[in-house]
Amino acid sequence: MPQMKRTPQDCPSRLPENTAVKQQQLPACRLQLSATGILSGFFATGVFCLGMGVILILSAKSSMEIEINYTKICASCAKLRENARNFDKECTCSIPFHLTQTMRGNVYMYYKLYGFYQNLHGYLLSRSNSQLLGTDVKDVETCAPFSKSHDGTPIAPCGAIANSLFNDTIILSYKLNSSVHIQVPMLRSGITWWTDKYIKFRNPSSSNLSSAFAGTTKPPSWPKPVYELDENDPGNNGFLNDDFIVWMRTAAFPTFKKLYRRLSRTQHFIEGLPAGNYSFNVSYNFPVTRFQGEKSVVLSTLTWSGGHSLFLGLAYTVTGAMTWLAAFSMMAVHLKLKGKRFSPDDKVKL
Amino acid sequence: MFCSEKKLLEVERKVKANDREYNEKFQYADNRIHTSKYNILTFLPINLFEQFQRVANAYFLFLLILQLIPEISSLTWFTTIVPLVLVITMTAVKDATDDCFRHKSDNQVNNRQSEVLIDGKLQNEKWMNVKVGDIIKLENNQFVAADLLLLSSSEPHGLCYIETAELDGETNLKVRHALAVTSELGADISRLAKFDGIVVCEAPNNKLDKFTGVLSWKDSKYPLNNEKIILRGCVLRNTSWCFGMVIFAGPDTKLMQNSGKTKFKRTSIDRLMNTLVLWIFGFLVCLGIILAIGNSIWEKQVGDQFRSFLFWKEGEKNSVFSGFLTFWSYIIILNTVVPISLYVSVEVIRLGHSYFINWDRKMYYSGKATPAEARTTTLNEELGQIEYVFSDKTGTLTQNIMTFKKCSINGRIYGEVQDDLGRKTDITKKKEPVDFSVNSQAERTFQFFDHNLMEAIKLGDPKVHEFLRLLALCHTVMSEENSAGQLIYQVQSPDEGALVTAARNFGFTFKSRTPETITIEELGTLVTYQLLAFLDFNNIRKRMSVIVRNPKGQIKLYSKGADTILFEKLHPSNEDLLTLTSDHLSEFAGEGLRTLAIAYRDLDDKYFKEWHKMLEDANTATDERDERIAGLYEEIERDLMLLGATAVEDKLQEGVIETVTSLSLANIKIWVLTGDKQETAINIGYACNMLTDDMNDVFIIAGNTAAEVREELRKAKENLFGQNRSFSNGHVVFEKKQQLELASVVEETITGDYALVINGHSLAHALESDVKNDLLELACMCKTVVCCRVTPLQKAQVVELVKKYRNAVTLAIGDGANDVSMIKSAHIGVGISGQEGLQAVLASDYSFAQFRYLQRLLLVHGRWSYFRMCKFLCYFFYKNFAFTLVHFWFGFFCGFSAQDVNDQNSMDYPQLYQPGQQNLLFNKRKFLICMAHGIYTSLALFFIPYGAFYNAAGEDGQHLADYQSFAVTMATSLVIVVSVQIALDTSYWTVVNHVFIWGSIATYFSILFTMHSNGIFAIFPNQFPFVGNARHSLTQKCIWLVILLTTVASVMPVVAFRFLKVDLFPTLSDQLRQRQKAQKKARPLHSRRPQTRRSSSRRSGYAFAHQEGYGELITSGKNMRAKNLPPTSGLEKTLYNSTSWIENLCKKTTDTVSSFSQDKTVKL
Repeated sequence: MPQMKRTPQDCPSRLPENTAVKQQQLPACRLQLSATGILSGFFATGVFCLGMGVILILSAKSSMEIEINYTKICASCAKLRENARNFDKECTCSIPFHLTQTMRGNVYMYYKLYGFYQNLHGYLLSRSNSQLLGTDVKDVETCAPFSKSHDGTPIAPCGAIANSLFNDTIILSYKLNSSVHIQVPMLRSGITWWTDKYIKFRNPSSSNLSSAFAGTTKPPSWPKPVYELDENDPGNNGFLNDDFIVWMRTAAFPTFKKLYRRLSRTQHFIEGLPAGNYSFNVSYNFPVTRFQGEKSVVLSTLTWSGGHSLFLGLAYTVTGAMTWLAAFSMMAVHLKLKGKRFSPDDKVKL
Repeated sequence: MFCSEKKLLEVERKVKANDREYNEKFQYADNRIHTSKYNILTFLPINLFEQFQRVANAYFLFLLILQLIPEISSLTWFTTIVPLVLVITMTAVKDATDDCFRHKSDNQVNNRQSEVLIDGKLQNEKWMNVKVGDIIKLENNQFVAADLLLLSSSEPHGLCYIETAELDGETNLKVRHALAVTSELGADISRLAKFDGIVVCEAPNNKLDKFTGVLSWKDSKYPLNNEKIILRGCVLRNTSWCFGMVIFAGPDTKLMQNSGKTKFKRTSIDRLMNTLVLWIFGFLVCLGIILAIGNSIWEKQVGDQFRSFLFWKEGEKNSVFSGFLTFWSYIIILNTVVPISLYVSVEVIRLGHSYFINWDRKMYYSGKATPAEARTTTLNEELGQIEYVFSDKTGTLTQNIMTFKKCSINGRIYGEVQDDLGRKTDITKKKEPVDFSVNSQAERTFQFFDHNLMEAIKLGDPKVHEFLRLLALCHTVMSEENSAGQLIYQVQSPDEGALVTAARNFGFTFKSRTPETITIEELGTLVTYQLLAFLDFNNIRKRMSVIVRNPKGQIKLYSKGADTILFEKLHPSNEDLLTLTSDHLSEFAGEGLRTLAIAYRDLDDKYFKEWHKMLEDANTATDERDERIAGLYEEIERDLMLLGATAVEDKLQEGVIETVTSLSLANIKIWVLTGDKQETAINIGYACNMLTDDMNDVFIIAGNTAAEVREELRKAKENLFGQNRSFSNGHVVFEKKQQLELASVVEETITGDYALVINGHSLAHALESDVKNDLLELACMCKTVVCCRVTPLQKAQVVELVKKYRNAVTLAIGDGANDVSMIKSAHIGVGISGQEGLQAVLASDYSFAQFRYLQRLLLVHGRWSYFRMCKFLCYFFYKNFAFTLVHFWFGFFCGFSAQDVNDQNSMDYPQLYQPGQQNLLFNKRKFLICMAHGIYTSLALFFIPYGAFYNAAGEDGQHLADYQSFAVTMATSLVIVVSVQIALDTSYWTVVNHVFIWGSIATYFSILFTMHSNGIFAIFPNQFPFVGNARHSLTQKCIWLVILLTTVASVMPVVAFRFLKVDLFPTLSDQLRQRQKAQKKARPLHSRRPQTRRSSSRRSGYAFAHQEGYGELITSGKNMRAKNLPPTSGLEKTLYNSTSWIENLCKKTTDTVSSFSQDKTVKL
């Protein structure tokens, strides 16, 4: 059969462009490490991890931490708080303890809760950031189930987080001698994140706070409205209350500690907390036994890497040890097999 | 529904000509065809239904519904709906455009015009309006509109010629002839209009070479067979007009019945992904159940008391219900293991690879200005997994051009090009071809590089002259002069065309023929030979001869045929020449040329007269006529004088041999499926190195009945196992063997090389259920399989067979309409573009202009696509497991309350998918390893920060372990860990990789800081409550220590594992790659000419591509135009009356079929 031949036309538009990308010819280099490279990398990593672990452990050891669990010590108060109707009855409790060693440097006082699930899905979302920002006090949309009181008044601050605010007052007193008890001076400042205090939380603008919160009601578990949280310091009221801000930064785990006060290093306490007898005077308001939780007070000093936690140091040490172990076994295997299969500078592709 | 019911019912078709009312009773399909899937109304429901059949889409729809329930929704619903809608819309648009295209082509075909006889007049009608029973008129070079019963034609005796390339890929002309009674109708419209015959025939089927029916007309019945039927898709050639009656129309036509259904092609990775998604879903359900049970227990033990404190109403929910809700919430949260972005990314990667294919300059064919084209974007990685390639022959492996390459005349080879030193060289461009310009009749496209032949002609070597004379005389070619006075040959076998054209160029021009004479021009002088007898070709004789009387009065018998046959007929004096020629033939055959032996005999006048008398007697005899004639032919074709041999090249496409070789090195099996004859197919097999003489055995299956085929298959298998002692019980052992072989990487194959050749008739039986497995087993053990004489549907069936029972990935490559069904049914269909027909390309997934590009498509693009895709998926699953399971661990610490740890960061993620789309290489399916790896990483990611945060405080004494800081720490660790991981996984670092890997880390931090900035908080306080978080957390030394430790802990084991793996257990593919590298080095780059010499028993490559019976056509003059017919002379008049030769022809055609079985013992 006669073949119909299409005349070959020079059709440059159909010829693909000759660029490196289109022809998949980009200059490339290969990540190839020699066996020695990998092994030395392992050894170096091992050394680093071990060293870091030791440093971390040592520094953690150098810091001090005292934790006093007062759930059981203040059992009567706990019992009282189990019944919600006793909310207006005051209950205080004193927990004496002895500090055998001076806590040098900055001392921080924390409260620590056990078994309190601040990370529950429903709990975590039950807050209104726009209300806390002070732009719209009555914006309680996202606060269910604590958005409005029974009569329909919006709650300020709304939500389950705010409602469950930790409201114990803890005062540390130092027994200077057998008769003189002095209250250890504590600072409330600097316990919040700067961004929280100055950006995330704002009071509604108005001449005074009570009028700013007009038309709203207090959370059901609170004894006092939000603008009367701190009777001593008028600047510490409303959404800008430091303890409130700290509480609102929800914890990731059911066991957590939150910063309560910092030691003000004045008078007797310039060096830190001297050894001696102390007591915590707790005004016991926050019920924990109802959900089988516990609470305690923690006094702690810090190091460069943060708090008194051995975990990171141990983890580094273990990782370093494992890396070394792995490196040795790899080296053994490699040396044993090298003669068999590989030439010395055979590349290992990862 | 209706249609299929009707089809079930139809066992017999009854059609009355020119009677639409009558035919309408049966509700036969009309001539309209539909290949489109949808119309405007059905598009949306059908398309959506199809799309939601994809596991992934259904899964996301389900998730979406879950998210719409506020009780359990832990993520917002638009995170799912936006991508889902996007994905579905994109697919729908693509489907719609595809279908639009099909609508268009349907319309175009349906609206073609044809002349239909309506109400006694010829009217132009659209194809779609043609009905069964109509009589339509076809003109030369027109496509046939429907399956027709040929009634009459312009040619004498109701003959017509058709080309069936669309149906079976053969380009030679075929003859169809009308019944004598109907051919008398001629072009008489009024008589045709009165024609009211009733045809009763078989129901529509897909057998192209079979038709049975009966025409009842004027009280008599005439049997109908395939020879009277013109099928849709054929083209009328060399016939100015013909009339036909529509028997099957539209979807009932054999062409349409042969077209396989368009299937939605999926890659095996797709299927794997579907399974994995189901697994993962199951896994998610398990996790969900664990967490839900945990939640119930927690609610009962802790939450009950706790809730009273936290929530307004007490005892609102019970613990079981809470657990139930938690289950669904976790299903939503954990769905990020298989996020919809997986599917989007996979599609994007595939699209990218498709563009790389389109952009590849190495697959651009400048000859036809055709670049390679990836017509489907979804199958790329499958290209890297091909195990079987099914290839068409004509137009795919070969160019379908026959050229006269070499000849051996009287013991001397012509056509070999020698360089100055007298060594044989390949034909190069430098050599000047023989100049034929002196010869006015020369065909300009013909090229010959050996000047010696021309010189020999000029010197007047009598043997050379005789040789060329024979070529000019002994053939079935018809000549025609076109308007420019140029000779045009009508050939029905391209081989003959090549030989006659060669003779023409060397000065022996075949000019014209009548039933009794042949006129040739010998070096400028016209000579007319009297054609005394024509000893036609058939499959058993494998030769043809003419007996002519030259003007000098000498009677000569000229014969050409398969050497094996012809050499037996030679005169003993030829012995020396025979050895020499035999060597030459072996040489030709070794080069894959099709050979023919050429011989003549001088006949004594008296002897011939006697013989002719006997022939006449035999012809008039009633019994055993054929046997007697055959005997007489044998009698006269003896004591031949050998002249030499010819070698015709069935020109392979460029680079076919190299491609075939390298594909088989890549362990890809190539099967040739062709509509051509066995000899042709085998010849091509040798030509492109698929069959070699080194092969232990070539099995030929040519049985005609199921029992024969079974027996042959059994024997072949026995043979195969017999030669490999180790195979005691066949298949199982073989499989084991194969694995062993792979495992130990034994270089030499003990199995030896086998090849299987099977023809269409046997294949039809072999594809029956009980023999199917034997065939498959045998075929898969053979290195090469050649199927010849197969119909388009059989091609598809073979592909399906392998696909189904071998579970192998298949690729079909072809160029013509007859390959469409095969292309559609294979996993990947490749069309050769740049040809005339477009059907194959339109049906294909990839198209390019030359077979040789297959190598690059598979070995380069396919491999890359596959490796990259695997690596991407591995990495993706790893990353997502790492990322998602963190939630699972967190579940244990948050009262199983479906709190999500780092929801905000999931938005940062798309950047991280992108490195996966770049130059990554090599991996395997290691889903479980990835999963384990992911789980391990998630453990490290969760528990190291957890431990570190448990009792920690910040550097400023502040509370560190708040939820938001924890989330930021974990997200940052995650990003760094997975970035390090991808850096380790990246095989080749290009600019793009650097940009993406560093870029994604940079993007992460910039997004993190933006989202945690004061400004964005001021605008959207509720959406971005993370204000100041990044700043605060990331300035803490302790957090960086955590991140560092997490990274070390998650990456080190991986590095150690890989290091040890390479050392201890080098993978099979490692070894194979090394071996292949060595092979590649060893393999010379330049083309390797097959040097092996074949034993003479195998070398006859003569392809009798033409039908038997042409000799009779010529001697009877039936196929000559009236004007060509000489006035009836008293000379040797034809011996048969017109009906008898036609019967003869039909009978012979059926004989051809049976002869296959007879020569099955002949090893070619």
